[in-house]
Amino acid sequence: MKLESLKPHFPWITLVVLVLIVGLINPSFFDPSSLILLVADIVPLFIMAMGMTFVIYIGGIDLSVQQLANVVTVVATVYLANFGVGVALIAIVIGAAFGAVSGYVTTRLFVPSFVSTLAMGFVALSMAKWLSGQRALAMDATMRNDSFGWMFGSTAGIPNELMIAGVLLTIAWFLQARTTFGRALKAVGAGELAAVASGLNVDRVKIIAFAISGVFAAIAGLMFSVKLSGGDANLANGFLLLAIVAVLVGGTPLTGGVGGVVNTAIGTLIVMVIRAAMVYLEVDATQQQMVFGIVLIAAIALTIDRSKLRGVVK
Amino acid sequence: MTATPSVLPDTHNRLNRETLVKWAPLLVLGVLLLLFPFFEWLEDFRAAKDHTYLVDSRFLSIRNFARIAISASPALMVAIGVTFIILMGSIDLSMEGTVSVCAVLFAFLFLGMGGTMGSWAILAIPGALIVGAAMGFINGLVHVKLKIPSFMASLAMGFVGTGLALLLTGGDRIRVEDEAFRSLLTVRWFNFPIMCYVALFGLLVAWFIQSRTTLGRNFYAVGGGEELAKASGLNVNRVRIMGFTLAGVFFAMGALLAVGRIGIAETATGNGFMFVSITAVVVGGTALWGGIGGVWNTLIGVLIVNVINNGMVVIGLPGWVQDGTLGLLVIAAVVLSTDRRAVSFVK
Repeated sequence: MKLESLKPHFPWITLVVLVLIVGLINPSFFDPSSLILLVADIVPLFIMAMGMTFVIYIGGIDLSVQQLANVVTVVATVYLANFGVGVALIAIVIGAAFGAVSGYVTTRLFVPSFVSTLAMGFVALSMAKWLSGQRALAMDATMRNDSFGWMFGSTAGIPNELMIAGVLLTIAWFLQARTTFGRALKAVGAGELAAVASGLNVDRVKIIAFAISGVFAAIAGLMFSVKLSGGDANLANGFLLLAIVAVLVGGTPLTGGVGGVVNTAIGTLIVMVIRAAMVYLEVDATQQQMVFGIVLIAAIALTIDRSKLRGVVK
Repeated sequence: MTATPSVLPDTHNRLNRETLVKWAPLLVLGVLLLLFPFFEWLEDFRAAKDHTYLVDSRFLSIRNFARIAISASPALMVAIGVTFIILMGSIDLSMEGTVSVCAVLFAFLFLGMGGTMGSWAILAIPGALIVGAAMGFINGLVHVKLKIPSFMASLAMGFVGTGLALLLTGGDRIRVEDEAFRSLLTVRWFNFPIMCYVALFGLLVAWFIQSRTTLGRNFYAVGGGEELAKASGLNVNRVRIMGFTLAGVFFAMGALLAVGRIGIAETATGNGFMFVSITAVVVGGTALWGGIGGVWNTLIGVLIVNVINNGMVVIGLPGWVQDGTLGLLVIAAVVLSTDRRAVSFVK
């Protein structure tokens, strides 16, 4: 058995091993009700990471997700009174628009995605600061419950958040595995030049991938603002690192072409288990970022497909 | 006869484009320096106040220039550091973490060894530079030895750095109140505080490295064509690691000036440096593809960014406009500096 052939199985093996270790340290980890709460808690991160998966899958990166989520928390809070559930639609449109512009700037204007998305993130930050007047805003509790209360109830013992995550995962999986767009995405991720040569409209595929990332980041932001009942230009800060980690430890490498949204689901669970382990081991919360930074480096190093880098690593 | 005209305008255009790209940053800076006083004049004109264009400008005053220079000094050091990396065609996004760690460790060392410049505490300054070099070195190792693209390796290292700074401080702010150290800001020569001269000195050192040392020439060689550099016997990996180490030293310089400016070292000291420095380098005309540009471009870029930030405040625009403006500016700068015929595809 070669190591390479085991590679696709690394993520879930890692997950199982981690779960067992954490379970051994603290058996109460397996308590179903608290486990479900733990998983439900990570849903906004999962949604954001799922969108990011599409961009990493085509070999790009989206550094604007956290700012997009921020601007959506503000938009949702400010316009909840006017539009009710309609702010969900506004959020999705904003996400798609920002993502599509990032995609356009990357593909048609030849700006590397880490710069274009970083820049668009700052445009989003501007918008968030302007709309919020640089203050932390709070949602009206009754209006929040009327419009979005359904997000956080539970049906037959299963939190609605998990249902939402399941629905979005199904949609994303369908897009990726059962549509022409999904095949095109695979072609671009596996080898962009070959995809261009075979007549695929690569630019369009990439722009759509960035738009999807934007939409998912926006939905994550919406859930986040409903959950915390407010909006702020910095509310979702700290999510970017975790979202990238979730995608990469799930087994979608930076070089793209393999992996996908199901992998990201596993990756997000790994992030969750690591976080839980840190709580049980009484690792200080201030060390989280360092731990995840190191996990990120390890994950990239293990998953990256070096044959695709063609000798030059910039 | 018909073929000739189709070739000639092309060469002509190409020359034009290159000249334009080369001088565009300076032109932009010049326009900005005239634009903000114009808005001031316009405002006073509307209010029917007496105002002679340029002469009565609050923006074009020595006091305000000193203000711009103070805010530009730490950013210049950080931007110079990343300039070397971008010249090689790579990118370093670790500056926020590195600056925070250097600032915090500097403060700990400085206070731990006496807390005044007259004592052993002065060793905290080279200490911080060594910490910066070490972090850059690790960054380079991760990038080169693990073969991880630099933007991701350095981004991850930046997260580690910010985490480390948070771990060291536990979220506290450390005050560095020594008068001699704070003279970086408080003592002025010819209207400009000492930190501006320190930054100028750093710029000259960087210029020396860029133009008068083998390492500097190697940066251009790697950026101009890595395969070619390798084929002609250059140890590209070594150049890369040294580049990241050098960048780390300049990030540490930036950290020292940042602490000198506000007198506080904390996890947040590094915040904002990533975007400002990348914007400055790119806006200054150093191409993201490597091989073109240099530290003088970066000086112009840093000045453009800081003039915009300062000018917007002077003419009374709200603070949130700045982020978005810089975001659009950086896209415009990359677009302008990219020769599209030379690029096949972009990730």
